[in-house]
Parts: sequence; C-alpha cells; structure tokens
Amino acid sequence: MQLVDLFSALETSPVGAFVKDRGATFATIEAVHLMALAVLGGSVLVMDLRLLNVAFKDIPARTLALDAHKAFKVALAVLLVTGFFMVAGVATKCYHNFYFWVKMAALAAGIAFVFAVKMPLLRNEGEPPSAATLKLVALASTSIWLLVAASGRWIGFS
Amino acid sequence: MNDLVLGFARWLEAQPLSVRLHESFYMYNWIETTHVLTLMVSLGMLAVIDLRMLGVCLTNVPASTIARRLNKPMLIGFGVMSVTGIALYSAIPVRTTQSLWFRIKVALLFAALVNAVLFHRYMRRSIDSWDTARVPPARTRIAAGLSLALWAGVIITGRFIAYDWFDCGEANPAWVDAVIGCTKTVAAL
Repeated sequence: MQLVDLFSALETSPVGAFVKDRGATFATIEAVHLMALAVLGGSVLVMDLRLLNVAFKDIPARTLALDAHKAFKVALAVLLVTGFFMVAGVATKCYHNFYFWVKMAALAAGIAFVFAVKMPLLRNEGEPPSAATLKLVALASTSIWLLVAASGRWIGFS
Repeated sequence: MNDLVLGFARWLEAQPLSVRLHESFYMYNWIETTHVLTLMVSLGMLAVIDLRMLGVCLTNVPASTIARRLNKPMLIGFGVMSVTGIALYSAIPVRTTQSLWFRIKVALLFAALVNAVLFHRYMRRSIDSWDTARVPPARTRIAAGLSLALWAGVIITGRFIAYDWFDCGEANPAWVDAVIGCTKTVAAL
C-alpha cells in the first residue's frame, strides 16, 4: 500500500466523513488548534527568552523551563489531535501540498529536538551547560516552532 | 448607528490603501500570517500569566514577578495584533463590518479589556496579601478564568470571520440580518 492510498483511506474513513460533514466542524477543530498554538508559542517563548537571558532574568531558569514544558506537552497533545482530525478532512489535498510536508518535517524535527536534546539538557542534574549552548538551543527551538506555525499557515494559502 | 459604521466602511473600501491591500498578491497573506502567528506572543504570554493567576503553573514564583516580566512582551504582541488587525479590517471593510463573527469578536475584545483593567486595579491594591501564595484568592482566579474564556472566544470568532455561513444575502434568520446590519439593497442582490 502506498502513502497516497493511506491518505485517501483516511479521508474516506468515518473520521474524515465526520470532519467534512459540516463546515463548522473543521472550523471549530481549527479554532481549538489555534488556542493550543497560543499556549505552545507562549511556553516556547517564555522558556527560550529565559535561556537566551534576554527576559525574565529574575525567574529561576530551571523552574521556568520545567513548568513551561508541562504547558508545552499539553498544548502539543491538543495540536496533534486536532491536527490529525483536520488532515483527515482534507487528506488528499494535504498529501499533494508541499507546505504540508514542510510542516510535518519541521514538526518531527521539533518534537525530536525538544524531547531528545533540549529537555534532557535542561533536566541534567550534573554540570550545567554553558551559556552559549543554552542560547543555541533556545534559538534552534524558537526557529523550528516558528517554521512549523508559518508553514502550517501557508498550507491554507497554497 | 449601523448607518454610521457601514458608511465609514464603504468610505474606507474606496480608499487606495484598502484597494491595494484587497488586490495584493501576497501582502494580505503576510499581514494575516503575522496576525495569526503573533497570537503566540500576545496570547501565549497572557496564557502563562492567567495560568499563574489560577494557581496552575509557576506557583513558586511570586505572581507579581510573572505579571511584571511577561507584561511587556504581551503588550508588544498586542501592539502587533492591533496594527495587523486594523490592516486586515481595512482590506475588506464592508464584509467585515457586516460579519456576525466580527461583531461578536469586537464585543469580546472589549469585555476582555474591561476585565483586564478591573483586575489590574484589584491586583495593585491587594497583591501583597497573595503574591507568594501558591493559589491566589477567588477574585483573582475568576478574573483569570474569565480572561482565558474571553480570549478563547476571540480566537474562535476571529477564525469564523472567513466563513460565509451568515453573510448578508445568505438565507439568514431575520435577527441575524438585523444584528449584522444588512441593508435592503444588499439583501436584494
């Protein structure tokens, strides 16, 4: 079975049908996607601006990072679920859309980066990482999530 | 009142700025993308502040520290949202003015502003008594919860503006046509 068949099967499945049924369904799911986007953006920004030592300097970095990460995880879960439903509604169009795949690649990279690089680095109880390392991590994190959001919006324009 | 607002929208629609935005290939898209992405800054910061005020996160940091530190990026974000929002309105003034969702959105924005101002005053008076408490008093939590609910409404109605379900000329119930200020000439088209 090819990938295109998987997408087409998703669109014709009951999930796809549910999302397509009324215009308001897709729109409402997307509005929830946007709300979670606000929380994700806020948590990433708060963490990264602190790591860059640009803002929130009197809030301990570890406290901020660990709490922000909790909000990040909840937001990410909501984004993934709502995102899945939205793709189900317009799966074939997404499959053929360049910016959809840009977004998916950036999303995969972002998730891998946060859970395999950033959080282990910040949680590490031993020698704290250098300021330069933290700044690099912060810049990478902000860039990648910005790319996910921007390419996501551009799907709608293409 | 409706004539006044609609008259302004029709005047704005004829201005060169509005026409150029409306007919642009990419400018409108860039402005809209900025508007949507900047909500990560403005409402992202707001969400963190409100979650602290609800006693849900960062509870071992004084509430006033969170409010003070996140306030500036939040207001910068709101500044960008306002500018891009006005630009978006200016590109399609008449349809936006006659949009049910836009009108509800404006009402919610106003309510959110009032809520914020009232809470800010209360906070200034009382903050010393609950600044370091893990869970702030009820009044704070109510204001924070209301804030999150109102802004969620702003996001939802903002997104719905693009849809034509209740545009003038669609088969709307009479009360909808009255609320959104459809004029007879438009309804007859």
